[in-house]
Amino acid sequence: MTKPVPSPSFPHPSALSTFVSPTSTPVTTAAATTSQVLHNLQHQHLWTSLKVHDPELSFPVSLISGIPPHRVYTHPDEQLYMVERGLREEDVELDRMFVLPTVQGQSWSLEKMVAVFDALPDPGDEATESEAQSADDAVAVGADADKAAKLAEYYEYRAKARRTGEWGGKRLLLAMIDKGMGGEGTVVYYVAQEGTVKPRQN
Amino acid sequence: MNTNPELPVPISYIAGNYFVFSVDVATFLRREHHICGVLAGTLPQVPQQNVFTGLPLELMPEEARLLVEKGVACIVDEANFQKQGMASLLEEDRKKYLQDLESQGLETMQMQLRRKERQRDASLKKIEEKKAAKAKKKAEAKHDTSDVPAAAAAEDSVVSFFADSEPSTSHVSSRRSSTLGTVDPMGITPAVSHPLLPQQPPAEHLLPLPQVQSSYPLYAHLHSKGYFLCPGLRFGCQYLAYPGDPLRFHSHFLVVSTEWDEQLDLMTVISGGRLGTGVKKGFLIGGADKSAEESSGAGSNVRTFSIEWAGM
Repeated sequence: MTKPVPSPSFPHPSALSTFVSPTSTPVTTAAATTSQVLHNLQHQHLWTSLKVHDPELSFPVSLISGIPPHRVYTHPDEQLYMVERGLREEDVELDRMFVLPTVQGQSWSLEKMVAVFDALPDPGDEATESEAQSADDAVAVGADADKAAKLAEYYEYRAKARRTGEWGGKRLLLAMIDKGMGGEGTVVYYVAQEGTVKPRQN
Repeated sequence: MNTNPELPVPISYIAGNYFVFSVDVATFLRREHHICGVLAGTLPQVPQQNVFTGLPLELMPEEARLLVEKGVACIVDEANFQKQGMASLLEEDRKKYLQDLESQGLETMQMQLRRKERQRDASLKKIEEKKAAKAKKKAEAKHDTSDVPAAAAAEDSVVSFFADSEPSTSHVSSRRSSTLGTVDPMGITPAVSHPLLPQQPPAEHLLPLPQVQSSYPLYAHLHSKGYFLCPGLRFGCQYLAYPGDPLRFHSHFLVVSTEWDEQLDLMTVISGGRLGTGVKKGFLIGGADKSAEESSGAGSNVRTFSIEWAGM
């Protein structure tokens, strides 16, 4: 009676490993940073439709974009506008947000920051897209005609505010990880905006 | 007081610092040019504290430079100006100036005495009226009168406490008013040397543009956007940017300047952003692009970024 010798192969990956590693092993440190932030967004913060962008810049950098499960940033004037019309954050459709993955100790400068922001799409351009969406929304919410009208008004004003930069210009989330100390897995997020944008009243 | 001083206003350069000694100029700069500076003088009446400070107003080199570039102010080498100005002063002028000061002091003293006099008369009259009213009431009601003089006396003491610290009887005050002319003049310490020395110093005492740090373009940029900028020591940054007068508004930004291609530790951004959010402000980092043309004055080629904690 001989037991079958277990084949000298790798053990089966755990359920967690199979869950979190749909991407291939990153080849560069920058790509590793990007995938760590991407995983954090996907699995901890439950962002959806995540994409990785590789803008053509003079230095290697990746941008992530995705849709958060709830609003990450509301400009104080936009908040006031919404409160005045009785709109809540849940009523408004969510926007695609850009995330810049960085790592502690990375070489960084104002010049690079400007280059990344210049590579972002102009918020005024997206306005047409969201306006088309808002028309659909208005039909869907139809039951509450008053609210739909207010929402339509809000989207119209938002498109204008984006062109003029009244509710802030280009913005992105600055994500930073620490690979020292064995990499503890924390990712911190900061909202970075172009120009002088007054702080939120939190 | 809405007086506009004669331009350019002198800024005194003393031992490496920039000062404004005239209260008119200090208020004018704050009102019209959004320049606050820092009051650096102790108050002569309460010298043992530094919570409330008075003239002179100390300006940051950036503030001084901005004013000179706008043509609002000029920098005066105060030590030399004073020395040579005083040396070339005639003896008659000196005497006349001292006499002027004395007569000014005398006038002030008399004004103060007259005001006290008026206050005293008014309060005495009030007491008399009250006494008369009470007496009338008493006569009508025929009540027990034991507590009335005490009340009147108490009132009297309160009034005299506010009117003057000295014992105030009508006898003393009448004697005083008769000797108004021979009263000691109040000692006046002039804050500015204007009547004695010319308001606009001669060209040989003027200094060139103040030397400033590399953060000047950012300073000029934010100032041109209407922000009031104060020193940022309290929050560990370079400037605090207020959207209006700091007496009326909370500040919006902790401002840190950086060179265009200077190595930037991202930890600075994180710590600044976190501290700023903790005190309801944004963290603002910015600098000038040296390669870009300064099309319209200092600060036009500046790029800035506002950073706040995302809360996630």
